[in-house]
Amino acid sequence: MSKRHSIVPPISQAGPKPPVQFSSSITIADSAVLTGSNPIVIHSESVVHPRARLESLGGRITIGRRCVVHERSTVGAVGTEGRVTENGVTLGDYVTVEVAASIEAGDTVIGDGTTVGVGAKVGRGAVVGKHCTLTPHTVVAAGEVIPDFTVIYSNGMRRMDKRGVVELKNKGQARQIEVLRRMIPSNPSKFQ
Amino acid sequence: MAPLTPYTFIQCPCSDPSTLASSRPADASSPTSISGQERDDDDGRTFDPRAPRSNYSLYPLEYLLYCEDCHQIRCPRCVSEEIVTYYCPNCLFEVPSSNLKSEGNRCTRSCFQCPICIGPLGVTSLEKPADANLLAAPDNAASPPSGPYILICSYCNWSSTEIGIQFDKPNSIHAQLAKMRNGGVTRLTAKERKEKRREAAAQSGTGVPPTAAPTTTGGDGQDLDVEAQFANLKHFYQGQLADANAAGASSLSSLGDLGFASPNSLSRIMSIYTGGSLHDKKAKTRVGTMREALDSDEGFKLADLDESGAIEKLHEEGYDGTVSSEQLSNQPPNVGEVQLHGRSRFASELRPIPYLLRTKRSKRCPICRHIISKPEAKVQTTRFRIRLVAGSYIPSIAIRPLPGGGPPPDTLQPLRPAQFLLTFKNPIFETVKVTLASPATTPGRFASKVTVLCPQFEIDANTDVWDEALNKDGDKERRRRKGEDSGSGPAGGGQAEAGKIWERGRNWVSIVVEVVPASLRPPTISFGKKEDTGPLREDEDVLEIPMFVRVEWEVDAGGDEVGSVPSKDKDKEAKEKRELAYWCVLGLGRVSQG
Amino acid sequence: MSRRPPRGEYIETDTGNKVARKATLVGTQNIMLGGKTVIQPEVMIRGDLARSVPSSSSTASSSGAAGGAPPNNTAVAIGRYCFLSRGCCLRPPGRLYKGAFTYMPLRMGDHVYIGPGTVVQAASIGSHVHIGQRVVVGEFAIIKDYVRILDETVVPPNMVIPSFSIVAGQPARVVGEVPEGGHEAFELRELYKTVGNNPQPAPS
Repeated sequence: MSKRHSIVPPISQAGPKPPVQFSSSITIADSAVLTGSNPIVIHSESVVHPRARLESLGGRITIGRRCVVHERSTVGAVGTEGRVTENGVTLGDYVTVEVAASIEAGDTVIGDGTTVGVGAKVGRGAVVGKHCTLTPHTVVAAGEVIPDFTVIYSNGMRRMDKRGVVELKNKGQARQIEVLRRMIPSNPSKFQ
Repeated sequence: MAPLTPYTFIQCPCSDPSTLASSRPADASSPTSISGQERDDDDGRTFDPRAPRSNYSLYPLEYLLYCEDCHQIRCPRCVSEEIVTYYCPNCLFEVPSSNLKSEGNRCTRSCFQCPICIGPLGVTSLEKPADANLLAAPDNAASPPSGPYILICSYCNWSSTEIGIQFDKPNSIHAQLAKMRNGGVTRLTAKERKEKRREAAAQSGTGVPPTAAPTTTGGDGQDLDVEAQFANLKHFYQGQLADANAAGASSLSSLGDLGFASPNSLSRIMSIYTGGSLHDKKAKTRVGTMREALDSDEGFKLADLDESGAIEKLHEEGYDGTVSSEQLSNQPPNVGEVQLHGRSRFASELRPIPYLLRTKRSKRCPICRHIISKPEAKVQTTRFRIRLVAGSYIPSIAIRPLPGGGPPPDTLQPLRPAQFLLTFKNPIFETVKVTLASPATTPGRFASKVTVLCPQFEIDANTDVWDEALNKDGDKERRRRKGEDSGSGPAGGGQAEAGKIWERGRNWVSIVVEVVPASLRPPTISFGKKEDTGPLREDEDVLEIPMFVRVEWEVDAGGDEVGSVPSKDKDKEAKEKRELAYWCVLGLGRVSQG
Repeated sequence: MSRRPPRGEYIETDTGNKVARKATLVGTQNIMLGGKTVIQPEVMIRGDLARSVPSSSSTASSSGAAGGAPPNNTAVAIGRYCFLSRGCCLRPPGRLYKGAFTYMPLRMGDHVYIGPGTVVQAASIGSHVHIGQRVVVGEFAIIKDYVRILDETVVPPNMVIPSFSIVAGQPARVVGEVPEGGHEAFELRELYKTVGNNPQPAPS
């Protein structure tokens, strides 16, 4: 056990291998899971943690620049309806999808700089604005439209983020990505 | 509905009126006689777990303490508490009790809760860190972040800039905040206010505050906050009283001395609110009336009845700008806002909430005043000097459905017998004799039948674990023997038999209780007396069995037990009988309503 | 039931740790287990997110060598008799520190129970702590000894939970106090015996 650097039991790669379009500067962990039949596009400097799931069965997945998709999150989950749309999930730039969060497919949009908290759920077709914060366990219903700078906290309470720290946050994200690039061995070729 | 996990609640004797009545006249130092008496009183009376009073007397075993001198169970409601340490739950610093009187019961360092979501607030620098070259430069070259600083909530992203507050220093935020109103306007502290007034008084040349020509500082009274207004009023009336006392040599009639403006009622009111020694008993002076405050320096403030500003603000900010009643109730009192005597209606008027202090408390027996629980005074230690918990004196009772009867159903079927296994675990180092008694049917509207198959048994002492390990073979043998005793079938599928123990171990015994749950249909026909035919009430479908437990054991009659009465047969042997009796409630599960 | 699988479900180490083969441990060289700790299947521990900025005491080290690892870069330290339930996730907290982003170690004491589906990003967890299921412990939270966190709680980042607190809600607040007689309930020795390749039945 001491020799091994990680214990990562294999996951059965169910379903087809999706066509991917990666920027050369992305970081994607070897044990990330990409499935589906529609294209998955990841723009520059984004990071996909181990055991994150990107499912394009319900439509194309687009991940913007400098996004961080954490472990165990699911981007593009096919909901109960199982419909296929052209754009499954679109993440803007500087989006953070936290641990065990799930974003359903179906023309779902997450705006620039938005954080989807730990275990949060975004329903199919929801449009979350820019620089929003969904605190842990938040549920955004299918088709809901969340205005920019909204904070959803305490089981659905809402308020406006008036900190005005977009610049600062983006810089922080860039710093975090610099560190993650060194820590997470990237293996984009596995998915191409 | 979530399936109910079986529970055991124990009744503290403090709530039993018969105990209270019997223990008052009796000497507290004769515990055995009390419990004996109590038992006699209890005969023929069944404890009803559904009685409204029972809500307040039933506790899980973990919540109960035990007084070694009274030999009785004590509950959180009957013990008397003494505060050992005050500390802030956020910074974990101890607050000396002397500070409490002057500073109040909140943390005066930099610990605040978010006024929006009550999450913790952190101090961060507003200024953007000089970045680009920072990353390349080594750490020590990084300049320490400089002000201004703000409080920020990392959960809901509230920041103190929303109420217009920034700080110069990252530490002692509480002191800085005390000098600031929302919007960054400076606010006088009590000390400064006093000094200012003294200066004003010195300027006017007399010791008494000026009455005719007010030295107005602000002009209008709008900048008076609650604290300043109170201080000014207090000062003004003190001056008035002094005047009245000086001038009141000629005693007038006491008639008409009851109005608000009379010195007597004033001094009475002031002694109520300030707690000071303003009330001078000797001064029986009677001055007809005194004048009232006239300007803001004297604490006068026109009621602001014009709410158009608030309405306009409401139009502008909408619902999002208002506060909820919960947020309002979390606000510290007298935060010094102008509006409505410190009550805020808009989110922009909220103040960061300094953390309420928490305490470590020791507990005393209410009867003999002995300490039965005492934590170490230091905040960071979790040790106790004294911790007499009931769990180390009385047997614990665990409940589970009897295996072998198919998969345990989530609900109990009415009119179908169900068996439960009660496991009694003995915590003490003596063998105890347990006697159980329960009514044949449960009290309440729906009487379920209850049969305790083995109401009397002994549990072996809680010997050392190593003893068990050494005597493992013997123990096993005994268990097997018991198994042969109790049933002929194989282990686990055995038949429960009346008068027999189900299973026994080192310091535990399992017995079987059989219940026949009642049907939950309210009676439709009433026989003679008036019966309650209402619909099912909350939790009325939970099958609860009241059970009287009596535990008897023998102890070495130590010399230290001076007050204890020797056993009833008066033999002064080395052994002494002890007994403890109490009611408990076994919650078995919900009865199906099908 | 009928036949034992040829390979046990758990890897049992010399120090008594029981690590499920189906657990995901990333960066095991940075994960310290104190012994007698149970890691159930589908648990994930991010040991790879180790401290990237050397601690302030060793700033002068000036390790010019690329990737010169500091002597101690433990990312997750776990004490004895901890129980990590199925599907929980432990990851070190990260923040900007002096303008640079770094992860800080996550330290846990003894007898810490972490419920299924819970995500922990605390800075430190004391001993005798019970965390329920589907709880989120935010970054840099500090949980002291003898704390019970009820199911579905969201502990906000940087929160300090003092000893003997019962905590619930979103965001978490102290809703009660652990009674004096409830200390023993935090012991996990018995629970430890009930899992592994040769589990013993729970005592009644």
